[in-house]
Amino acid sequence: MTDVVETAGLTKRFGESTVVSGVDLRVPRGTAFGYLGPNGAGKTTLIRMLLGLIRPSGGTMRLLGRPVPAQRREALARVGAIVDEPRFHGHMTGRQNLWALAAAREPEAHARIDGALERVGLLARADDRVSKYSLGMRQRLGIAACLLADPELLILDEPMNGLDPAGMLEVRELIRSLVEEGRTVVLSSHLLDEVERTCDAIAIVDRGRVVLQGRLDDLRDGSAAVLRVDCSEPARAAVLLRLRADVARVREEEDQLVLELSAGDPRGESAAIAHVVLDAGFELYRLQLDHDSLEERFLELTTRLGAAA
Amino acid sequence: MSIRLVRAEVLKLSTRRGLMAASLLLTVVATIAIELILLLLHATDPAKHGIVGGINHFNDGLYSLTQLATIAAVLVGATAGAGDLAAGFFRSLVVTGRPRASLFGARIPGGLLVVLPLTAAAYLVLALFSFVVPGGAATPSTTLLVEAGLWFELYIAVMFLLALGLASLLGSRATTIGILAGLQLLVTPLVQGLHNPGVGAESVLGLALWRLAPTEILGGAPPGHLGESLVAAFVVIGAWMALALGLGAWRTVTRDA
Repeated sequence: MTDVVETAGLTKRFGESTVVSGVDLRVPRGTAFGYLGPNGAGKTTLIRMLLGLIRPSGGTMRLLGRPVPAQRREALARVGAIVDEPRFHGHMTGRQNLWALAAAREPEAHARIDGALERVGLLARADDRVSKYSLGMRQRLGIAACLLADPELLILDEPMNGLDPAGMLEVRELIRSLVEEGRTVVLSSHLLDEVERTCDAIAIVDRGRVVLQGRLDDLRDGSAAVLRVDCSEPARAAVLLRLRADVARVREEEDQLVLELSAGDPRGESAAIAHVVLDAGFELYRLQLDHDSLEERFLELTTRLGAAA
Repeated sequence: MSIRLVRAEVLKLSTRRGLMAASLLLTVVATIAIELILLLLHATDPAKHGIVGGINHFNDGLYSLTQLATIAAVLVGATAGAGDLAAGFFRSLVVTGRPRASLFGARIPGGLLVVLPLTAAAYLVLALFSFVVPGGAATPSTTLLVEAGLWFELYIAVMFLLALGLASLLGSRATTIGILAGLQLLVTPLVQGLHNPGVGAESVLGLALWRLAPTEILGGAPPGHLGESLVAAFVVIGAWMALALGLGAWRTVTRDA
């Protein structure tokens, strides 16, 4: 599988401040890829560099196999992108805005306008002025603008911003349908849950640096196992369980113990812990084995980095 | 030059109702209104109010129309130069991969296609009225009408291009309009009115443009007290255009989108 976005050591500095720092990013073709990070992490800056809106301070980039900015025009011919919130001429209709954007693309782009509007559910409102559109409608018009390129790669910056739950579901389904057609969608977001629901692969970015990158399934497999223990006298039980080598950390949470297990056999360790608790005379009400959610992993990574800084 | 990009520029400008209404008001509507009022005044009191027609009336009218149409040209030029930026649309255009220089280049014919027909229509109205009630006065010759018309459209095109370049450089429609209004309404008339305007006055764009006007119409407007040569006038106009468009294109290509 080839990579549609490749960056090496990509860096952007604004004066003394380094907003993007040595980012090595690889986005596999035909995936929904989440570029995940808290606000101010440098997500939009990286996207703006990829699209040639600002110049990088260092590093190299390739889009669809072409070096940018050297072959920027050829690369962007098959890229559709929304940066920040999609903005249009409010005095023009949705269709007129798309017409003006299609004029900057290949001649065939004009023939794609109606199809793009239909696909995002805006055909009935296509001849209304954009100033009358809601933010959700403008987001969908932005995606329609991306489709004018018949894109191999779509780059969507915070596409769920301003959408109600139904709108988020629509956009999520639209992204998945685009991926099923073999297109690649890169979406930046701070909405962890949305990324987890929508994407196949992610990169977590914090303070301009990519701190974790890979397929979601792989990341989940590699995440720490968590055992929730609901027992009598949890404070005393915690003292006992902290002595075990297969328990990395123990914390109390709402009258429960949350144990982070060391790498190994989580199921076997869970059974052993159950025996220990019962043999020590505690009542055991419930035992639940989980993996860290992406959100916990994300928070753990960014918190650790924050503490180290 | 992409015809489709030029058409897109025309679309973006011509769908702005406020801009088009203001431009129409400053050109065609204003000309018709002024001529009708003068006609009415002449009809009610011919002794006090002179004839509506003839070459002198045409000259006076052309001077007024030039001032008003310049405002329309500046409005359209400033909008063409800064409209995409103000709307946040410039970024969407840039991410198509289309070279920024061609995005800038399309604004020139696009804007001219909007502003020149309007001013031409106003000029046509003015020319027609010069034949309505000429009394015994001579009417403008066909040659004069053609020459004055071409000069007038050149004047408007230059003012449009100046506004376009400046707006593309500054990224602000309001600032551009403010600066050019000051230049056109204060600086140019002030220098025109001076008996000894001093060194550097030749560089005033408005004076150089009036230097190119057919000599028959100069009675309608003060040409200033400069002995500026024709060559100098062309050089001044060319320098202003190169500066404005060059800076506008440079900023369009280099600005963060």
